[in-house]
Order: sequence, then structure tokens, then C-alpha cells
Amino acid sequence: MEGAAAVSEKAGRGMTVQMLSTKAEQAILASFEANAATLPGGAAVAALRRAAIGAFASKGLPSRRVEEFKYTDLKANVKDVLPLATGGGTSDAATALGAHFGPDFAANAVVFADGRGVAAKAGVTFLADALGKAPDWVSAALADAELSASSDLLLNTALFTDGAVLDIAAGAEVAEPIVIAATAKDGAMTALRHVIRVGAGAKATIVEIERAPKGSGVRQSSALTQIMIADGAEVVHIKLVETQKGSLHLSHWQANLGANVSYKPFQMTVGEGFVRNGLNVLFNGQHSTFDYGAASVGHGTGHADSSLIVDHKVPHCTSRELFKTVLDGQARAVFQGRVIVRPNAQKTDGKQMAQALMLSPDAEFDSKPELEIYADDVVCGHGSTAAEIDPDLVFYCTSRGIPTAVARGMLIESFIGEAIDKVEHEGLREALGEIARDSLTA
Amino acid sequence: MLEIKNLHVKLADEDKVILKGLTLSVPKGEVHAIMGPNGSGKSTLAYVLAGREGYEVTDGDILWNGESIIEMEPDERAAKGVFLAFQYPMEIPGVAGLTFLRTATNAVRKKRELPEMTTPEFMKFVKEKAAKLNIDFEMLKRPVNVGFSGGEKKRSEILQMAMLEPTLCVLDETDSGLDIDALKVVSDGVNALRGPDRAMLVITHYQRLLNHIVPDKVHVLADGRIQKTGGKELALELEKSGYAEFTGKAA
Ligand SMILES: Nc1ncnc2c1ncn2[C@@H]1O[C@H](COP(=O)(O)OP(=O)(O)O)[C@@H](O)[C@H]1O
Ligand SMILES: [Mg+2]
Repeated sequence: MEGAAAVSEKAGRGMTVQMLSTKAEQAILASFEANAATLPGGAAVAALRRAAIGAFASKGLPSRRVEEFKYTDLKANVKDVLPLATGGGTSDAATALGAHFGPDFAANAVVFADGRGVAAKAGVTFLADALGKAPDWVSAALADAELSASSDLLLNTALFTDGAVLDIAAGAEVAEPIVIAATAKDGAMTALRHVIRVGAGAKATIVEIERAPKGSGVRQSSALTQIMIADGAEVVHIKLVETQKGSLHLSHWQANLGANVSYKPFQMTVGEGFVRNGLNVLFNGQHSTFDYGAASVGHGTGHADSSLIVDHKVPHCTSRELFKTVLDGQARAVFQGRVIVRPNAQKTDGKQMAQALMLSPDAEFDSKPELEIYADDVVCGHGSTAAEIDPDLVFYCTSRGIPTAVARGMLIESFIGEAIDKVEHEGLREALGEIARDSLTA
Repeated sequence: MLEIKNLHVKLADEDKVILKGLTLSVPKGEVHAIMGPNGSGKSTLAYVLAGREGYEVTDGDILWNGESIIEMEPDERAAKGVFLAFQYPMEIPGVAGLTFLRTATNAVRKKRELPEMTTPEFMKFVKEKAAKLNIDFEMLKRPVNVGFSGGEKKRSEILQMAMLEPTLCVLDETDSGLDIDALKVVSDGVNALRGPDRAMLVITHYQRLLNHIVPDKVHVLADGRIQKTGGKELALELEKSGYAEFTGKAA
């Protein structure tokens, strides 16, 4: 809305792209110019970045008029832009992962501090190092046209300073979860790009963690993950975001699925920051399954948006989405589930459910399913609920001697637990459960 | 001793009056049955004893061991020994039966100033009680009552009762939905809890249950009041004559 005001004010004096910009947009352009010369990558990547920032300049930050940002108006909500962090930080894996994760996870973690990789792990290279001699599949991924659609993604292309390059060989079965953890100092912005390729028939669990512990100052981050999953592979992909008041996290996953793939993403968002989790899935091969779960716990003025675009381009694929959120204070959660079933995508089976448990009358839940079905032989459904804690169930518990507060806690936990239970890895499920529990009692 | 004195109850947010001066006493060590036609207020009485919201006591009082309980929260009443076996036990998705039982057991023990049970103590206790009620232990790992048959739900209620060791047991139509074998198991479970320190109020629509849980007294509830009190033979009479006499009086 600020952006719109700026337009009418300055329109009379001759409108240029620059004049459309909000203060934040101008700061992003300036940040790019200040860092362009030192951002990693050769001439091709530099050209990609230049094109991206150009497109960003004309689009600006997405406002609520952009359908995918209907409830998450970045133009109105991003007032200031913090300086881009380009490295120099240190962090060990245990700190980056934060409490609740044991040493087993830390041992398998790739760590990024202040926008640069600081702890590597066998099998993972840092994108900043790889760019000079990037394999074709990485170069192709970086230039993926799908990413020029939205200005939050253009921003990442223009500014990313590093990221993980993960290439899982065909047939490989990676037993332990591969953890990608990012931390940053207060008062800085980071932009990371992860590029992941999973070979045919491989099995892996990938966990992305970005946590600002309680007491952290304001941080801004963009994290874009591209994942290409070949035929028959099975991938569990987990993301945990913890933000504090005033912070911004823009996450996006772009997933391309081959045939007979099982892709199970799970995203958990806790804290009081402003978080956007975008996820686009393209079914390129038949008989694949996308089984998505999300759990979020919002307090204060926390904002968590999960916006999905699931594109059934081919027949015989299944998509499942379960989004659960607990909202207290003035927190807000958004679920947008757009499912496109292309004309030839017969036998598509798509279901989504979004549920909010409202603990406060000032909390808000916006749920928008969007089914665009162009094929006739499909089964698609969606549901959405927003409810308070059921007083009958509280009575049942208290009649058994359980104090009201404990009963409510138990019911809230069981509500969010239904989503967390989608995580099959026991250690991860328990850690995420504890994080949710701690954040519920925060 | 349970003393219900001139109890008047209406729905909190409607004008509907359900109990209209109900008076009743159950001394410790006794089992009293309440029988009455559908809609006569039996469940309302049970809920008001347990402290459910939505009902307003406009007159009268309920004393348990000489102390008024009508202002107490349900968990406080439970700590004082009040237990209601629900006519329609609720399902709690996502909360495992064992977790629920353990939380409840330790919550009342804490309020009764008893030491909390350790995990091994609790497991031994619950296994023992479950076996007596023919409850498959694996069932308790599932969410509370979710997917249970009617009979399983009723047995699960009696298990909770056995775990919490209440002194005032209120059973609301515990017999409904039970086949004859399940009825026997449930009745045995209830009878096992009979004792000099316990008072029981058994609400039922049919006489059948009272062959198994033999009451000391039978009260007929109709039109919001106790219309008649007698011995166990009253139940048999009602079985023959029905409630017409009392509903007639009400009309
Ligand atoms: N919460 C409630 N809301 C609306 N009506 C109720 C409620 N509780 C009880 N009633 C009404 O009060 C009367 C007594 O109900 P109830 O106590 O369930 O009777 P019983 O258990 O003897 O069949 C019935 O007419 C019933 O419909
Ligand atoms: Mg009833």
C-alpha cells in the first residue's frame, strides 16, 4: 500500500521504474549494486544476476495483488532492508542447529554462517566454490525459467552468496539425514541457494534448519532450494524455521519430480517473525507421490505463510497436503494450496487439508484452496477448518483430574502432533515435537 | 455421603429447566440406582455432579462428605473422589490412552498428596487393571477411545475409574451398547470397586444392569424430580409397568 501511495504521488512528475519503488526496494537495488562485483560466479552467473535484478526492479516486491502473496504482502510489510552478509561468520554445527538436536545431527550438518559455508561434509560442495567450474546440471538449475516468475525468487538469484550443492548418486541410500543449517548475525540479510539432485532410485532425507534463538535481534533471509528428483527416488525433505520478532524469512522450494518418485516435504515454522514458505512441485513423470506436511506455531504478531503450487502435468500422480497451525496472540497463518491438473493428467489423486487451532480471538487464519482441474477422470478434494479448543474434550480431561491448563496443553499438542507424526524418522520427529511443545509454552 | 438437596438446574444459555428440586442421599458403602425415561434429566444430573459447563444451578446444593462441590472445577472434584463414567465417552485424537491415563492418575495422586507413580509402577498397575477388564493392552497405545467400539469405550471408562480410585462413582448408562458378555465384564469391574468407603450412583434406563450390579436403593427420576424410591424390587416393577405412571404425573 505504501508502494501504491508512492506511485500516485510521483506519477505527475513522470513515472519511472525507480519512482515506483518503496524504500525497501530501493535498498535492495542499492545492495545489489554495492555487492555485484564481489558476488560469486563467473560472467554467466553475473549476467543471470543482472537480469534478475532488472526484472526485480520492474516488478518490485510482491504486493497483495499478486495472488501467491495475497495474504503476505511483502511490499507493505518489508519496511527496511538489512545489509547483505557476505561471509566472515563462524558457527559450529551444534550452535547452528540449536537446542533439541543431538550430536548425531550435528555430525551430518553442513553449516552456513553469515551467508557463506563454514562447515562442509563429504558429498556436499559449496555453491560459491562450485560456480567457477559448475557442472551443467547446476548451471541449468540456476537459470531455470520457473524462477523468474516471482520477484522473491529473482531477489535470491540476484543476491545469493552461497548454498549447498548436493548430488546424490543414482541408487545411493543415504542412511542418516543430511542437515543444511544456516545461521546469521543480527542486523544482516542473507541469501542462500541450494541446488540438489537426487539420482534414480536413491533414498535420502534432507533437513534444512534456520533458527534464530530466543533473544536474537532482527534478521532477514532468503533461502531458495531447487531439488530435482529422478525416477524411483524417495526423498524426505524437512525444513525448520524459527524466527524472532521483526525478522523476515523468505523460503522457496522448487521441486521437479520424475516418475515413480516419493517426495515427502515437511515444513515447521515457529516463532514471532514474518515467514513465507513457497513450494512449487512439478510432476514430470507418472506414478509419483507428493506427500506434504506442515506445522506452525504462531505467537505475538508472528506470520507464517505456506503457499503451494502443485502442478500435475502428467497422469497417475498423487498429491497430499496437511497443514496445521496453532495461533495465539495476534499471530497469523496462511495456507494457499493451488493444485493444477493439466488436461492429460488423468487419474490424478489430490487431497489437501488445512486446519487451524485458534487460541486467541485476535489470531487470524487465511486458507485458500485453489483447484484448477482440466482433466475429467480425477479425484481431488480439499478441506479447511479453524476452531477453538473443544470445551467438551477439556471437560472430559478435567473430569479425570487433569488441570485445565494441562488438558489444554495436551489437546494443543495432539492437534499439532498429527502433522508432526508425518515425519517418520524418530529422532527428527521427536526433536520437532519438542520444538513445537517448547514454542507452545513460550 | 453424597447429599443432593433441592437441586434446580437449567441450561446456562437457554431458558430450559431440567432439574426441578431433586433431593437424594447416597451414604458411603451404598449403591443407588437412578432410573427414568429418556430426557428426564439423568445425564444432566451426572454432568452437574462432575462439573460440566453449560448447566446453571439456580437453587439447592450438592454436598460430598459434607462439603459443597457446586463451585468446584471438575479436576478439583475428581481429586475429591468424584468420577463420572460417561454415557458417551469422548474420543481424543492424538492423545495416547496410556499418556492420558498416566497424566490423570498422577494428577489426582498429586492433589491427594500421594506420591506420583513411576513408569514401572504405573505400567504394572494399568496392566493389572486392564487385564481384569478384558482390555487389550495394545489398545491403550492408541488415541483415547478413537476407533473403539461402543463396548470398548465403556470398558475404557471403567478402566479409568479403576485407575483413579474414586470414592463417588457416577455411572451414566454404562450398560447401553453392551452385549451380555461385556455387561458381565463391566459389572464385575464395577462390583470390584464396591466397598465401605465408596458411594455409587448407577444411572440406567433398563433393569438389566441391576441384575449384575445389585443396588441398595432405586430412585425413579421423572420431570426433574425423584418421584419414587424403593429397594431393588422397584426396578423389576418398572420393567413391567414402564414409566407411564410417572410421565403421566409430569404431564
Ligand atoms: N446441553 C444441552 N443442550 C440442550 N438441551 C439439553 C442439554 N442437556 C440436556 N438437554 C435437554 O434436557 C433434557 C434432559 O436431558 P438428559 O439429562 O440428557 O436426559 P436423560 O439422560 O435422562 O435422557 C432433554 O430434554 C435434553 O434434550
Ligand atoms: Mg442420558
